[in-house]
Amino acid sequence: MEKRSISLHLYKRLRVILLTAFLVCCGLVSMSQQRINGTVSDSRGNPVSGANIEEKGKNNVVVTGTNGAFTITVSPDATLQVSHIGFVTKEVAVANQTQLQISLEDQNQEMNQVVVIGYGTVRKKDLTGAVSVIKGDALRDRNSQDVISSMRGLASGVKITSSGLPGQSASIVIRGLGSLTNNYPLFVIDGIIGGEAHLNPADIESIQVLKDASSAAIYGSRAANGVIIITTKQGREGPVRVQADANLTLEWLPRYDLMDATTWKQFDDMAYDEAIRSGVAGVTKRQNHYDANTDWQNEMLKTGILQNYNVSLSGGSKNGKYFVSLNRLDDEGALYHTGYDRYGVRVNTSGQKGIFSYGQTFLYTRTNRQNLNGNPWADFIAISPTIPVKDPLHPGGYGYGDPDKANNYGRNLVGMQDLFIQKNPENVLKGNIYGQLSLFNKMVDAKLNVAYINYSGTTNTLRKKGNWTMGQGSDAAYLGYNNYRSDDILIEQTYNFKRKFDKHDVNALGGITYNTFKGQTNWTTKLDPLVIGDTYITSLDAATGSTTGGSSYQKAALISYLGRVNYSYADKYLAQVTMRRDGTSRLPQNNRWGNFASYSLGWRISSEKFFNVPFINDLKLRANHGTLGNSNIGFWDYQAVINTAPRAVFGVPETRFIGMTQSQLTNIDLVWERKTMTNIGIDAAMLKNRLNVSIEYFRAKSKDLLVYLPILMSSGNEGGNPAVNAGSLANKGIEIEAGWRDRIGNDFSYNVSLNVSRVRNEVLDLGYGKTVYYEFLSKAAIGQPLGMFYLYKMLGIFQTDAEIQAYKNKDGKIIQPNAKPGDIKYDDFNGDGIISSDDRQIVGNPWPKFEAGLNMSATYKAFDLAINGYGRFKYDVWNGSAAAAADFANNQNNFNGIVPWTTQNPVKDRPRIVFGDTRNSRGDQDRWLEDGTFFRISQIALGYTVPERLTKKIGIERLRAGATLTNLITFTKYSGLDPEFRDAGIFTMGADNASFPNPRSVLFSLSFTF
Amino acid sequence: MKKYIFLVGAAIAMSFVSCKKSLLDINNENTISTGNFWKTEKDAESGVIAVYNMFYRQGTWTRNIYTQMQGMADDGVSLAGWTELSEYAKFIFTNYNFGEVNTKMWKEHYVAIFRANQVLDNIDNVNFADQNHKQDLVGQVKFLRSFYYFYITSLWDNIPLVLKSSSASDRPEQKTPEQVFTQLETDLEDAVTKLPATRPAAETGRPTKGAAYALLAKIYMQHHKYPEAIKCLQWLIDGEGKNYYDLVANYGDNFSNTKENNKESLFEIQFSLMNRVGFDQTDNYRDPNAQLGTQIEMNQAPAGIGWNNVEARRWLVDYYKREKTIDDKYDIRLFYTVWYNDAGKDFPERSDTMIYGAKWRSDWGNRVFIKKYSTSASPLYYWNDNNFRSLRYADMLLLYAEALNEVNGPTPKAIECVNRVRQRVNLPLIQNSTYYNGTQITTNKDAFREHLKIERGLELSLECVRWIDLKRWGLNDQTTINELKSRDADFNNFIIGKSVRMPIPQSEVDNNPNLKQNPGY
Repeated sequence: MEKRSISLHLYKRLRVILLTAFLVCCGLVSMSQQRINGTVSDSRGNPVSGANIEEKGKNNVVVTGTNGAFTITVSPDATLQVSHIGFVTKEVAVANQTQLQISLEDQNQEMNQVVVIGYGTVRKKDLTGAVSVIKGDALRDRNSQDVISSMRGLASGVKITSSGLPGQSASIVIRGLGSLTNNYPLFVIDGIIGGEAHLNPADIESIQVLKDASSAAIYGSRAANGVIIITTKQGREGPVRVQADANLTLEWLPRYDLMDATTWKQFDDMAYDEAIRSGVAGVTKRQNHYDANTDWQNEMLKTGILQNYNVSLSGGSKNGKYFVSLNRLDDEGALYHTGYDRYGVRVNTSGQKGIFSYGQTFLYTRTNRQNLNGNPWADFIAISPTIPVKDPLHPGGYGYGDPDKANNYGRNLVGMQDLFIQKNPENVLKGNIYGQLSLFNKMVDAKLNVAYINYSGTTNTLRKKGNWTMGQGSDAAYLGYNNYRSDDILIEQTYNFKRKFDKHDVNALGGITYNTFKGQTNWTTKLDPLVIGDTYITSLDAATGSTTGGSSYQKAALISYLGRVNYSYADKYLAQVTMRRDGTSRLPQNNRWGNFASYSLGWRISSEKFFNVPFINDLKLRANHGTLGNSNIGFWDYQAVINTAPRAVFGVPETRFIGMTQSQLTNIDLVWERKTMTNIGIDAAMLKNRLNVSIEYFRAKSKDLLVYLPILMSSGNEGGNPAVNAGSLANKGIEIEAGWRDRIGNDFSYNVSLNVSRVRNEVLDLGYGKTVYYEFLSKAAIGQPLGMFYLYKMLGIFQTDAEIQAYKNKDGKIIQPNAKPGDIKYDDFNGDGIISSDDRQIVGNPWPKFEAGLNMSATYKAFDLAINGYGRFKYDVWNGSAAAAADFANNQNNFNGIVPWTTQNPVKDRPRIVFGDTRNSRGDQDRWLEDGTFFRISQIALGYTVPERLTKKIGIERLRAGATLTNLITFTKYSGLDPEFRDAGIFTMGADNASFPNPRSVLFSLSFTF
Repeated sequence: MKKYIFLVGAAIAMSFVSCKKSLLDINNENTISTGNFWKTEKDAESGVIAVYNMFYRQGTWTRNIYTQMQGMADDGVSLAGWTELSEYAKFIFTNYNFGEVNTKMWKEHYVAIFRANQVLDNIDNVNFADQNHKQDLVGQVKFLRSFYYFYITSLWDNIPLVLKSSSASDRPEQKTPEQVFTQLETDLEDAVTKLPATRPAAETGRPTKGAAYALLAKIYMQHHKYPEAIKCLQWLIDGEGKNYYDLVANYGDNFSNTKENNKESLFEIQFSLMNRVGFDQTDNYRDPNAQLGTQIEMNQAPAGIGWNNVEARRWLVDYYKREKTIDDKYDIRLFYTVWYNDAGKDFPERSDTMIYGAKWRSDWGNRVFIKKYSTSASPLYYWNDNNFRSLRYADMLLLYAEALNEVNGPTPKAIECVNRVRQRVNLPLIQNSTYYNGTQITTNKDAFREHLKIERGLELSLECVRWIDLKRWGLNDQTTINELKSRDADFNNFIIGKSVRMPIPQSEVDNNPNLKQNPGY
């Protein structure tokens, strides 16, 4: 109370001072004045006290009283600017009135955020679709090198899975799998389609994820998997602003707990003893074993050192703005002989004069990657630890399997990296330029935008002479040059119409776009490069062997007409209609054009008079429905072509003849894939705008899915399955995003946001008249989700011969007569008395019950902390590493701590180990299924910003030092290396085929602004 | 100004509309479209070449068929380091989708069949200046399609019979082996009339009338249609064919890359090292430089030298050594067929008993490695150029003997045929054999048949003939299986009624409602 009275007292005093000043001014400036009485209230009619009333352009200010009333004397044509913390500043023309009722709109940062929706922007409060927005600031302290992985956990309904492989982008799926071919969303970066792989996350201003039909509809045929719109930074008015970031990341990759040579030999001898005992052909004695003890993971893995530097300059005036950035990244790679480096330059400018404005972005990126051969996580298991890294007796000097000492086909990865060297330099040039005219008093904007992406890359291969695996033939050394170049041009012409009258607000867009793409590959291979001493000369001219080469090109074009009308009435009722007509060269002439439309409605309930819930500041209900298209297939999938490659030899002397044939079957009647979506959402801001909640429910149904559905081998098809409009999928789900932000005292502010999503997938139709489709591990059936695990079921381990004899079907037939104690007892699912392919059954579901992301951040004085976590819950994963390690059937390595069945220790969960016998280690059994549930603290970022008063002295505006820990904490029961893996395709989405794990890292960063 | 801008805009929009057709009509000029093909004789000719091209695949005659056919038969065994591969050759089929063997062999044979069907479906649309050329091409394709079908029938028995160019939605019907054989017989009877009896040197490697008769004879035999088989074999042995074909004097010439396309060879797959790329590149259907060689040698060479995916069973050595030649030496076929520990001792007159330039390794013990089709390469390249003799005159002589015996018992002609094969390697006439009971054999139909099983086994071992022979003679009774077990322990895994055929690739069964998995799998 005491405090309050003091502030009131101060306030009154201030008012006296201001009034005095006001009176003085009045006297000085003008005599023709008018006295106005008024009140200021909020949107629900409650008086607002302490609001500033300022005569615009004059130093004339009054403040409202506790009842919201004010009195001010101004000139009759004056404009009053009314402002108060927590409300949107409002301007009111006096226009000779003497009584004013001023209503202030709640200021909600969240709701007033501008959202880019494609060929335009809207305020979030006017949005009628499902859009998640990620601010550049949220990305900045994540320091990811790749745009997609930097978004991890920041938006609901977006599933991002990093691959961990240096230079390889993460995978991203929005709202479940809707397509069978391609679930990759469309990226639109500054109006340019694609190119996200080369974007420097530090340049990003904001990311918008357009998830439903109405939001994405303006991108029509390209938007079926959702759209991600990225805008890069632009300069701001003001003097030059320099921002510099320097990061150092130490990175390492997780390792298996594999047996060392001593342990391995014990187990391997056991497996041979068992093989001899059970009469495996050709096994008469144990292996002689190499003497080495190689930790292959140690040989291949090291601490990667990644340095990343960004410098940007920005600034400008009202008439022209610029943003220039430089980026340098040097990744030494956490794997032997791998690496990635990147140089990037960006120049963004924009300007305006009168009715004309223009903008331009330009990006040049040069990268170089030294490739990794194969998947080391599969090879770590495949190779015996007794094999030495180097073996002078072998061609090339590397160790590998030997029929007598280590009968094993594992590959020596060190040898492979040394002998097969692939480098991959790339150049990307990307830019757009637009010009815009604002006509009829800014009612119409006419815009012409031209975007261009040029990509050129080379894969240089040097194959040196030498072997890395047992049984490798004597390969010739060779050089390979494979060049790829593509040009992608987009021309867009759009007209934007804006008009506000009374309470009507109309915004209409119309346009036409034309996109053309051309790619070209040229390759040359030449045998026998020149070798001087130990050095291979990589010039083709110096090579002496025969040369082969070839080239091919790809071309495509897309023409689209687009239109959109947004209408709102009194800020309460919102409507949007979007139409798009697309024509693509990828579909046959008659089916080339597709029309796509969407409709949406919104209702801001909180603006209604009757709505009076004090703790809800804003409430909006929205619904939409629309159809999107997809023709994301190969360039000429509908055209059947002749393969001219086959050759045969006849005659004496030998002569080579040219053969021609159709290799790949085609379906010539392809049409647009269509995805129809319905979305219902609620947005609410509550508790003084501190709590923001969005809830979305969606149903999506795709039909005429364009898919490379496997066809029968008996068709003789070769070279990939033909595209077909096969099948229909449904996805429905719910997404909840909730965020809380608050401030405690002056020094502590925090925010917490949680997003949870759940998707249910269902196969409605499978095409070619199929009701069911099988892959090695999975089954897709109508009415079921895709990719259900369809496997043999292990019932246990036979402990005795008596148990084997007693395991009979109902007719008394012994089901596994050839089994031995220690073998797996499989379920005779169909009861026919034999274990056959008919005994496979649905044993697992790869779809998580739900996924969640949790983001927390807080600042206390100069410290800031951000914690990001996300997880997937309750689903099954097939552990391919465990299946690959199997039971010593191929002398591969295995994990420490396994306890196989032996007569001395007859365990019940793991069979005996036998060399040369795979009956217990087949991949297609449920023994390898595990619960994949995990929650990962993907990032913990801590920063300290040096107080400005200190930095100012050295001319620095802001100086922040930070540290970020990535992927260090994961809660999971999954025994594989990493529960977050890139799957092997949508039909086997739950299969972890020894996938490349995500790196763990610690990053130190320093950033300056001055 | 404003009007001007709108006009420009409208003009641009109009221009898109008016030329949208041309802008979106983008043809694939990387190759020829099927609509522009099958117009000329040259098109038809290249269509046929593409069928031959399928010989050069891992799932056909580059490598895997050898492992599988020899491994299942009693003459071979796989002790490959790749366990799944070796299990497959031992009747242990765990994963029916095993890519390296089961699906690859299945798929690549059907690719060949699709290519053949394309020619047969389209050749009538092509105008030929020379009708004989057309007849020849049709004959070749019918021969080739039958050839591919014959081998997959031998492996899986109950297969879809596809005779028309495929479309993606096809779900072809399954047929019994007898139904397949009937179709192949029709095709080959036609091919026989279309193919020339001899060819100029430039066409060596394309099937002749004799080749078609030989394949037809094999199929009739497999179908147990002996009189029909006799007709074919008569042409080859007593008819016109005897002008073109005969045994070569030196048995070893049949497996040497320097004695290819000799008079004993009725049909051989032409391998070459002309396309020498640097690495293992056989299955790239789009690469004009893909290998045209065979990996037969790499596949069978001892571990450490080659892949050792397949090797010989020891009984072969013992059986060869049971009967000596008329000049009291060991059967030279033993020398040319396998490598084994005592070769140097058994053939003292031969200086070339080294195994890939090396001495016999003591740790190989009693193992026996396949020597047929090896070359002098060292170290081994992935491929060699040694033609594979698929249809050999010796095979025909013994089949003739078998067919005649089935119809009329051991006729003098039947005995003569057996003796021609024996005499080449200096073995005594069968009636004079001291080891075998010559009198009984030459007078008793059953004894003659039983003896042929041994005679064929020794003459044609490890040439992908044995498995077909075993199937023809029957694998349905325990006595036979027991006898096979005594020679090849793999038959311990043999289940009567099941193991005589392989499991059809599971994905194929799962996704074709007209195809049932073979019984027992």
